[in-house]
Amino acid sequence: MAFAAGFVVWFAGIPAQAQPAGANLPRAAEGKPNFNGIWQALNTASWDIQDHTGQLGVPPGQGVVEGNEVPYQPQALAKKQENFAKRLTADPTEANCFLPGVPRATYMPYPFEIVQTPDSIVIRYEFAHALRMIPMNSKHADGIPPSWMGDSRGRWEGDTLVVDVTNFNDQTWFDRAGNFHSDALHVVERYTMMNPDHILYEATIEDPKVFTRPWKMSMPLYRRVDKNVKLLEYECIFYLQEERYKNAPFK
Amino acid sequence: MRLLNRLNAVAALIVLVFAASILSAQSGKLPDGQPNMQGMYTRAGVKGLEAEPPFNPIDPGEKNPLSVSNREDGLGPYPRIFGQGGNVLRGAQQRAQRRTGIVFPENKKLPWRPEEDAKRRQFLLDMNPAKDLRHIELNSRCALPGLFEGEDGNNPYTILQPAGKVVIIYDYNHTSRLIDLNRREHLDKNIRLFMGDSLGHWEGNTLVVDTTNFNGRVAYSREIPYLSEDLHTIERFTIVDENTIDYEVTIDDPKLFTGPWKVAGYFTKAAKGVESLEFACAEGSQTLQNIFGIPPTH
Repeated sequence: MAFAAGFVVWFAGIPAQAQPAGANLPRAAEGKPNFNGIWQALNTASWDIQDHTGQLGVPPGQGVVEGNEVPYQPQALAKKQENFAKRLTADPTEANCFLPGVPRATYMPYPFEIVQTPDSIVIRYEFAHALRMIPMNSKHADGIPPSWMGDSRGRWEGDTLVVDVTNFNDQTWFDRAGNFHSDALHVVERYTMMNPDHILYEATIEDPKVFTRPWKMSMPLYRRVDKNVKLLEYECIFYLQEERYKNAPFK
Repeated sequence: MRLLNRLNAVAALIVLVFAASILSAQSGKLPDGQPNMQGMYTRAGVKGLEAEPPFNPIDPGEKNPLSVSNREDGLGPYPRIFGQGGNVLRGAQQRAQRRTGIVFPENKKLPWRPEEDAKRRQFLLDMNPAKDLRHIELNSRCALPGLFEGEDGNNPYTILQPAGKVVIIYDYNHTSRLIDLNRREHLDKNIRLFMGDSLGHWEGNTLVVDTTNFNGRVAYSREIPYLSEDLHTIERFTIVDENTIDYEVTIDDPKLFTGPWKVAGYFTKAAKGVESLEFACAEGSQTLQNIFGIPPTH
């Protein structure tokens, strides 16, 4: 106990600028930053990942896309505009309660929980109890069917958690504004803890069938520091069925 | 001089931590002191076959000794995929060694309140054909299944143990539950959950989990199609050896039963290198459309 107290005083005695980067981060037993906990984005990317003004039910927001441009190929841009026009019924996630895909799961207005162990990291999302298993230092699986949340593989680059995600289907959107991708989507996520309560989240998006070049989004993620905070349940499909089938069997 | 003391203290701390981690590794414990039961498992034996089962129109085959649920080898609908995993350990011999099924009361007659048993039997009859949405089983609705999945479904479970927590990931419908080892009080009673609110602690090699705050919708099994909001469960996960966890759950639901009852089962470890695939459910399910037809457009 006395040793531990001495340890704290020793670090506290060093001026901030002299501390090595990451010195004050919470660390797991294996020495890596400890991401265990509940996190949430605090922005409007869920409505539109690009800059947008407010509308009824749409909070205004500054985008999360670097340079604010999503570099669509011409045909793909037309498809995005079509998606936008019918978004209230066609959005797979908000209108139909399907799994949100990556990176959309990260910036939906619901918390998520990172479960970190040395060999395997899991992210539990409150929305639709979406889940990602992220085996560390392993190879993408071959010959498995495409999926909604993709096949995630993690590795550490220094103190940054890098997750390579492939094997997506072409069914998810990036936001409610109809930004979309194909089954050639490849996402590289970088989670960098800036201080105990903030993560810098960066996602590089690559999809040669839809975009002219790779592009990137980035945003801070905030630790939910609320007292006794716990991940609860948002069972989207269950609530939607209660609405759709409330008069069933139909006469 | 003061700085030197601090450095010595740090050096001593590092040595201490290092020594502690070696000791932990030797005794099979994790850095936070938890016994290590991490891995992927399949579960068997938890089916609550009652002495006087109700007629179940959803799966009349349950009473047929040849039905999948009653096969001696314990293998279920898709044994091929995990045939090299835990299931190979689930033969009759393994089964005979472990406690399974209803273990209390010993006569396997669940202590139903008579009026509630009558309601339950009528509820089952109203499920096929489904009288309304309430009579559709939860699995067909792709909602969280609750803790039990009281069938030997052969969907694996993965257990992870970050410091202060146990996380159980069900392969079924990307379900997961988190058991908090440090919190002492349950959530406020106004918060209701399919998976309940789980607090745990270790008693030697046994993880004891206390769960409340259920939402009154989850089934125990096909024959017990719902439990009430007053449900309170105590689960015991006992590490037997590297490949086996014994499981026992006490179901205490005073609204439906006059006393608690217990079911036992066990987990066996899957082969190394087995990984889960995504189990999407809502995304492809046509069940409700098929049962009720497409709802009128608004």
